[in-house]
Amino acid sequence: MSRLSDIAVRIEGPVRLGGLGRGVAAVLSELVGILERVALGGETATIDLRSLPMSPDDRIELQSTLGKGEVHATLHADGVSTLQETGVSGVWWVEHRDRHGDLVAELIEVTVIPKILEASTEDMAMSACELRTRLATTHKAQAGMDHATLS
Amino acid sequence: MDLLHFARGPGLKIAIAVFCLGVTWRIVSFALLRIRREYSRPRESMFRYLLSGMITVGSRSWPHREFIGRTGAGEALGYSYHLGLFAVVLLFTPHILFLESLFGFSWPGLPSSLITIISVLTLTLFLAVLFRRVTNRVMRLLSNFDDYFSWFITMLVMVTGLAATAHVGGPYERLLALHILSVDVLLMWFPFGKLMHAFYIFPSRAINGALLARKGATS
Amino acid sequence: MQRSAEDLVVGEMLRRHGISRRGFIKFCTAAASAMALPPWMGPAMAQQLQNAQRPSVIYLSFQECTGCFESFTRSFAPTMESLIFNVISLDYDDTLMAAAGDAAESALAKAMRDSFGKYVLIIDGSVPTGAGGGYCTAGGKSAVDTLREAAKGAAAIICVGTCSSFGGIPFADPNPTDAWPVSSIVSDKPIINVSGCPPIPEVITGTLLQYVTTGKVPDLDEHLRPKAFFGTTIHDRCYRRPFYDQGKFAKTFDDEGARNGWCLYELGCKGPTTYNACATTKWNGGTSFPIESGHGCIGCSEPGFWDKGSLYSPLSATDWGKAGESSPRQVLELAAGGILAGGVLGVASAGSGRLRQYRSEHPLDPEPKDS
Repeated sequence: MSRLSDIAVRIEGPVRLGGLGRGVAAVLSELVGILERVALGGETATIDLRSLPMSPDDRIELQSTLGKGEVHATLHADGVSTLQETGVSGVWWVEHRDRHGDLVAELIEVTVIPKILEASTEDMAMSACELRTRLATTHKAQAGMDHATLS
Repeated sequence: MDLLHFARGPGLKIAIAVFCLGVTWRIVSFALLRIRREYSRPRESMFRYLLSGMITVGSRSWPHREFIGRTGAGEALGYSYHLGLFAVVLLFTPHILFLESLFGFSWPGLPSSLITIISVLTLTLFLAVLFRRVTNRVMRLLSNFDDYFSWFITMLVMVTGLAATAHVGGPYERLLALHILSVDVLLMWFPFGKLMHAFYIFPSRAINGALLARKGATS
Repeated sequence: MQRSAEDLVVGEMLRRHGISRRGFIKFCTAAASAMALPPWMGPAMAQQLQNAQRPSVIYLSFQECTGCFESFTRSFAPTMESLIFNVISLDYDDTLMAAAGDAAESALAKAMRDSFGKYVLIIDGSVPTGAGGGYCTAGGKSAVDTLREAAKGAAAIICVGTCSSFGGIPFADPNPTDAWPVSSIVSDKPIINVSGCPPIPEVITGTLLQYVTTGKVPDLDEHLRPKAFFGTTIHDRCYRRPFYDQGKFAKTFDDEGARNGWCLYELGCKGPTTYNACATTKWNGGTSFPIESGHGCIGCSEPGFWDKGSLYSPLSATDWGKAGESSPRQVLELAAGGILAGGVLGVASAGSGRLRQYRSEHPLDPEPKDS
């Protein structure tokens, strides 16, 4: 009995997905527009690569066209995410993976720095409280030890 | 019940019933009429003049040499769009599948992209035909509601069919519903207008040819 | 699954589960992407939820096979667990909850009381009304009554699956339990139909997440399905479309055409008239969908799909309506009837025609001269 993997599947001819055959050029021209706008102080923007019906070849071509930049950030939060600034300044290639390693989102962010990398002021306020408490406990312990040494 | 459901279900049933009723009615009503008795002596044997009748069906398909100049273009135009219509109706796979579901046998079809090209060409010819009818003084004089409506309903079927296949002009189910509805109307109109020529031309030419051959004339 | 006494906000819940703010932004970004929402909505949803109370969700199952709930549990992004633990408070679900009997029923009553007017009611399964509603009862109450009561305090109702959206399998001819969709029984609450048999997991969780984060019913089509997922047909997004356009159809399963991935129109694919996200979002976290696996779409997210003839007869040749309502056989019978009737009329017309012929050849005696 033949298995599923034995059934050959060949797709004849180039398959145009969603009519966006040369998707790379389209994305690049959109990026140019966004970059110019952001450079003049306008709103940042994000492109969800999943929403573009690009073939795997197009995606590879887009990535190689954009290239790699100076900054690479790895985010460990509920799985690993990588944020790579591309060779085009301000254009970040972001891949979010969940804790199983599956790709859950792939985005191109055009921004000064992806917002997810920033620390939030609320977290900082909480951290300040926690740090203050830790310092206080350390001081108390230190004071206790000094007292013990003195006596 | 939505439009597609109606068009494909009750609509189609009613249309086919009316079509069959109408066509049968018209054919039977003239077939059972008496042919006026010919009192002259038959010039040929019965076999020969009946055979002549059959041949006439074919020989009347193209004008005599003397008339080609004036009518050739119109005839060619007519044949072209008829061929186009037959090709689209009988050689487009979804149509073949529908007919197979009714009659139980199928036949190979043409590539769908070729059918689209043929449809567009046929559409163009149809427009040319209307143009001729409207601009030619004699034809304009002779044309009546039957002529224009038969043209219109056939055109509508083609246009909605193209729109549905190309998925242009709205959600697919609605386009498909309009196409099938226009087919329904065409089927119901068919027996009561000039479209009956599809059935009439054969007996009409055959009887004429046979009668003339009996009298010793060739046609 | 009971709401905790402190009524923690979502952000605090997350921190207790060791999920950082960034982790939650990531989760919402992934969810927005999966739902095909604009990318900026991910962080916006995270922002919204951080300080929000977890909305109460009550999940009621009626005349169903549990396939829709099974699908719900297999959502990749957002996962059902992450939804339950972080975003919603699933206050009642008879499949998942540990409680049973009176404990379960009192949990339901309490949930409806505590969050009256604010909870999201999720329904799967159709609602049978035959035999006074007796075909589906739980805790001595019929599904119809439970639904009507639960609907009173619901902020919105999400119908998961074709059964609750359109009646589904139980509704198919002859519908022995007199089953109806939720929308036929409840009419005064916003209803979102997430149809499919079952619906794609991410479509269920995505719609739920979208509703609880925005608090608004998304754009719906005429069948009350979210346009984000049900706005296009399978055919519109099918990767085998070039073959349809070229007229290259597989004739049988596993023939040369099938092996080459040709269009499955002749094998009964209902893609052209089926609205769903299968061709884009796909199943099992984007692995594949029926057509990609070689089987035509059966149109499971459409109303009445069980009554549209064989799953394997092509769209142009299939039955439409209740069993045999317009089968080819019926059509041919009608045609035969038409021919018969036409024949009779023809004979009558011919008869009258012959009479006229006779009269024209044998005119009646001339009128007597006027005196």
